[in-house]
Amino acid sequence: MSKDKKKKSLSYRLLWPIKNEKWQPITIPVASILVSFIAAAIVILLLGKNPLQAFYNLFQGSGILPKATYAGYKSMLTDFLSLLDAMTPLVFASLAVAVALRAGLFNIGVSGQMLVSGFLATIIVGYSGLDAVVAKPLVLLIGIIAGGLMGGLVGWLKYRFNIHEVVTTIMLNYIAQYVISFFIHMYYIDPVSRQSKYISEAARLTLVNFEFANLKMDIPLGFILAIAVAVFIKFLLDKTVVGFEIKAVGSNRDAAKYTGIKVGSNMILAMIISGGLAGLAGVTYYLGDFASIQPKVLTNIGFDSIAVALLGNSHPIGIIFSSFLISIIDQGSTYMSSQAGIRQEIASVIIGLILLFSACGAYVKHKVSRLKEKEVDRKDSES
Amino acid sequence: MDTIIIDGLSFALPLFIMAIGGIYSEKSGITNLALEGFQGFGAFIGAMTAVLIAHASGTDVQNLFYVALLFAMIGGMGFSVIHAVLSIKFKANQVISGVVINILALALTTFLTTQINAIVFGAASDKFRLGVTERFTIEGLANIPVIGAIFTDVYTFEVIIIVIAIIAWYVLYKTKFGLRLRASGENPHSVDTAGVDVAKIRFSAVLISGLLSGLAGMCFAYSISAQFSSGIYMGYGFLAIAALIFGNWRILPTLVACLLFGFAKSGGTFIAQAMALPSSFTDLFMILPYVLTLLLLIFFSKSNRAPRALGEIYDKGKR
Repeated sequence: MSKDKKKKSLSYRLLWPIKNEKWQPITIPVASILVSFIAAAIVILLLGKNPLQAFYNLFQGSGILPKATYAGYKSMLTDFLSLLDAMTPLVFASLAVAVALRAGLFNIGVSGQMLVSGFLATIIVGYSGLDAVVAKPLVLLIGIIAGGLMGGLVGWLKYRFNIHEVVTTIMLNYIAQYVISFFIHMYYIDPVSRQSKYISEAARLTLVNFEFANLKMDIPLGFILAIAVAVFIKFLLDKTVVGFEIKAVGSNRDAAKYTGIKVGSNMILAMIISGGLAGLAGVTYYLGDFASIQPKVLTNIGFDSIAVALLGNSHPIGIIFSSFLISIIDQGSTYMSSQAGIRQEIASVIIGLILLFSACGAYVKHKVSRLKEKEVDRKDSES
Repeated sequence: MDTIIIDGLSFALPLFIMAIGGIYSEKSGITNLALEGFQGFGAFIGAMTAVLIAHASGTDVQNLFYVALLFAMIGGMGFSVIHAVLSIKFKANQVISGVVINILALALTTFLTTQINAIVFGAASDKFRLGVTERFTIEGLANIPVIGAIFTDVYTFEVIIIVIAIIAWYVLYKTKFGLRLRASGENPHSVDTAGVDVAKIRFSAVLISGLLSGLAGMCFAYSISAQFSSGIYMGYGFLAIAALIFGNWRILPTLVACLLFGFAKSGGTFIAQAMALPSSFTDLFMILPYVLTLLLLIFFSKSNRAPRALGEIYDKGKR
């Protein structure tokens, strides 16, 4: 009897952070990340490699831990800045998915919206020879407008013609992919790289090979903006009437209508915001790290961002953390592959596992609340 | 004209069978964005089995189509268990589960394909070569103008798909199981009151969608792409979802949508070739099916209605 009690208290002590509802939004994702790393460790062990070394290499490659040696002008800081550079479009894209989700809409079209915004910014500003002072803000503006219009179109089609947003966004993805591929091939192709011609340095949102303290690094200008926008979206959703109405439409469309909230315009508005964020993701992606567009290819970011948004609980601050984590795994995988001799593809398997376990989060919540109900019931019957 | 019909059908029918899988799942009340993942994973299992058997026994991969097809169906069904467990037993958000499964399928199959190629074949390749399965022509019928093309250069799998599609139509609309399945998506509580296990029905519906998607994936692998690689995740799953929404969650209109996609796709390629335009113009014609879909939806979407309980987690205790 006493042994039984002891066992219970130990498991209770181990599980209290998950049982405490206040901490659940943090503890459940953390727990699922831990579990997935354990699962990945088992896979790596089965391949006959040392998982601890592999994870260590992963962090080294992404600039979180120092590498043994660095090439000239490189250091941990340069790796870390590259990580932030890669993370920036992912934050924007995930925010785009999250805002739409809050309104009960599913934006699978982030990739297409990114491509259209990136392409328009490239041909209007990237090839124009404008000064950096004008060019960089203009790039961002084009991103927001182009993405916002495209998102708004999806919302309007849903409101006006009852066309399911999943279908519209998928169709628009394909249309954007092919039409832009056509224009790149016809007018903007670089015959050597088979991609669109490189844009001017002035229009780029990443300062490439910026020299400081004997280091050459890439400074992602969009990163600060991404954090600021995430905070702004949190404010918008939590503290403003607009945010409240969007969430009301998302949680129960009929109830929202009954209370006098304009469902249609809020749906369109949410899609405009979502598209605008996707546009920012597009310009920081195509006019940041890459400076050119590969024809006929939609970036995976638009799809990964769905998962990142969900891992972050569709919460803007959570999204910053989840994009950080996913970017670490993505960025570190090349170095891990070369150092530990493990295939790079294992990185995406780890990401997949993290997402899979985090999808079970709702079950854990459900179970915990069930257990609590039972406890309450037992106490009631005892007394 | 003939090539448009021949190529169009060989694309439309696998898409159609996958969309039927989606209809089964969604009619039972489970949102299924994971069709793409089921399709890819099923095709992976089928291709892997075929390639390994060919390697061990020395037969040609092209002759192992039926073995591959069988294993692809099993593989797709096996993988769909994840979606079923997550969204029915674990009560996870079905949209989330679907997206996660797609990502996991792509990651796993790419990883395993390279790993198997390295270990078994000693080659650094991320694809299994399969070739194209045999085709046949029905003499006589093939000579009828225009319609004859339907009977020309037919893949055997097209016949299999049509047979399975007819069975699927019959089961969904004419049997007790089909009735219960449709009711589970409209009003699960009444199904429950009638003493039928909603969870069980939904579970089997998701498994059926996995099975049919695996079949579709294998057909794509053995015809259009002639190999298994990550290229099998080309968005066909989402296209199937678009087709079923377009078809208002009913099998026959969905067939029309799939044929539209198929013919517009092959037609676009054909026009570009016939006009001898530079290859970049092909891209412009490739948007035909998608633009057409959007335009048609503007006219036909008003009455579209998803199953009432779609995506809702069914909780017995909740009233």
